[in-house]
Amino acid sequence: MTILRARGLEASYGPTPALAGVDADVEKGEIAAVLGENGSGKSTLLKVLARIVPASAGEVRLDDRPLASMPRRETARRIAYVPQSVDLVFPIRALDLVLQGRAPHNRGFASDSPEDRRRALEAMRACDVESLAERDASALSGGEQRRVFLARALAQDADVWLLDEPASGLDPRHRLELLEILARAHRERRATILLVTHEIDLAADLADRVLLLRSGRTLAQGPPAEVLTPENLRRAFSVESRIEVDSAGRRRWVPVAPAR
Amino acid sequence: MTRGRAGALAVAAALLLLSLALGFLAGGVRLSLPDLFSGQGPAGETARLIASLRFPRVLLAALVGGCLALAGAALQALLKNPLADPFLLGTSGGAATGAALAVMAGLSPFLSPAAAFAGAVVASLGVAAMARRGGRLDLQRLLLAGLIANAFFSALLLLVFSVVSGEAARTMIFWMMGSLADATPGRALVLLPYAAAAGAVLLLSASRLNLFAVGEENAAALGVDTEKSKGIVFLAASLLTGAAVAFAGVIGFVGLLVPHAARSAVGNDQRVLLPVSAIAGAALLVAADALARSLFAPAELPIGAVTAAVGAPLFAWMLLRNR
Repeated sequence: MTILRARGLEASYGPTPALAGVDADVEKGEIAAVLGENGSGKSTLLKVLARIVPASAGEVRLDDRPLASMPRRETARRIAYVPQSVDLVFPIRALDLVLQGRAPHNRGFASDSPEDRRRALEAMRACDVESLAERDASALSGGEQRRVFLARALAQDADVWLLDEPASGLDPRHRLELLEILARAHRERRATILLVTHEIDLAADLADRVLLLRSGRTLAQGPPAEVLTPENLRRAFSVESRIEVDSAGRRRWVPVAPAR
Repeated sequence: MTRGRAGALAVAAALLLLSLALGFLAGGVRLSLPDLFSGQGPAGETARLIASLRFPRVLLAALVGGCLALAGAALQALLKNPLADPFLLGTSGGAATGAALAVMAGLSPFLSPAAAFAGAVVASLGVAAMARRGGRLDLQRLLLAGLIANAFFSALLLLVFSVVSGEAARTMIFWMMGSLADATPGRALVLLPYAAAAGAVLLLSASRLNLFAVGEENAAALGVDTEKSKGIVFLAASLLTGAAVAFAGVIGFVGLLVPHAARSAVGNDQRVLLPVSAIAGAALLVAADALARSLFAPAELPIGAVTAAVGAPLFAWMLLRNR
């Protein structure tokens, strides 16, 4: 069943177009990876789906309902957005940051009833950040902050998660830990995940579906094995590459040279 | 959480009471309470006269201080910028220019507050219009547009100032440096509903502002209609600032410093920070005005100079403490 469907999606920042006609279908419960070179519109696509950036044309449907006609707060109860990083100017307790995930569920966006606290702490436990609850989130490391924001998405109790480069910039151990937590949360909560990544191998391993963007348009979408071909990757990234199969039987993508 | 909230509010309220008492009793002449309540003859009359002059002044100081600090705190959260100040958005320059133009046009001084208020509203709307981009209120551009407006209005003020003379020049200094000397019960009563209405709007926006303090995108992703919220908060903060400036001129540092100090005392939960800032701002301005009246009595110091002279070292201390 299609949970998220985008057709002819366009968006721009001032005069600069960022999306120029994106089509996408995401099935309920699957992990979809969005790939494309820098500036291809990946992050903008997530922001349009999270209703952070308005679409200038086209339509998004959530469970076949137009997103634009849905109250914003209801959207936030269904769709959680995890940013790549946030510049925290003011000090804020990690727990309070996670509690913000409860805001769309409550009147006046208040978020600290005992029930909210219980859910927030439960989410922090699931992301291995419960011990950081009282710490100032602006003083946490990048990996810890990433997990705190993931915990917030869990506390938000949404069934669609939009993750902007969840594993980038992390050292190997933190990266693996984060991906483990993500996989576990996905299994337990049966959420639908749309994640932006630059790692083609990660998309191949993790995703049920790959969405390949170029210049704000959908180049190809479908199962990783069908979409991640040398031909498609040349068109998306302007790179010559070959696919190798490693000893564990996983397909590895090996870039060879810039395409001419 | 709620207990800490009540505690912080209680401490701030106690501070305000203390400073109200100080403001009422201190000044060129110390007010004697026995004379005020049971004094016979000239002593009692003098005491009652002083009280009737001081009462509106203390009330006005409290209202103006509360307006400025509350507007500053809300704007800092909205703009996610601890250096945001109600005067940074051009409101104060617009108000002072409005008053100056009214003086130049020979309007009655009674109309000056109205002219100042009109100037503040025009300036805010102009700044908001400049800050719009692609149909959205761009918070980065808002700061820049405010800066532009302030520079422009400062220049305008100086130009007007250089061609007027005598009484008009004195009135203009009042607007530029701030003063509570013209306080009357009527003025305090006119300011009260503005302060209450716009203040209530900001206090009701506190939870949304918590989301804005992490970022505008953050608020949007959590279901806030950000365009609407930005407009409401900006308008309410401008109203508070414009109303305060209309009755007391441009009194700097309160809107910047008080939210800062309050934040380091009670944290950055806007549901606590906003009311505590408002109360602390009221307390600070009443105390500063008492100081301005008493230090070199019978001469009176410009209140804006007092707040800056006290505020700047305090700010420096807070900065150095966090090094």
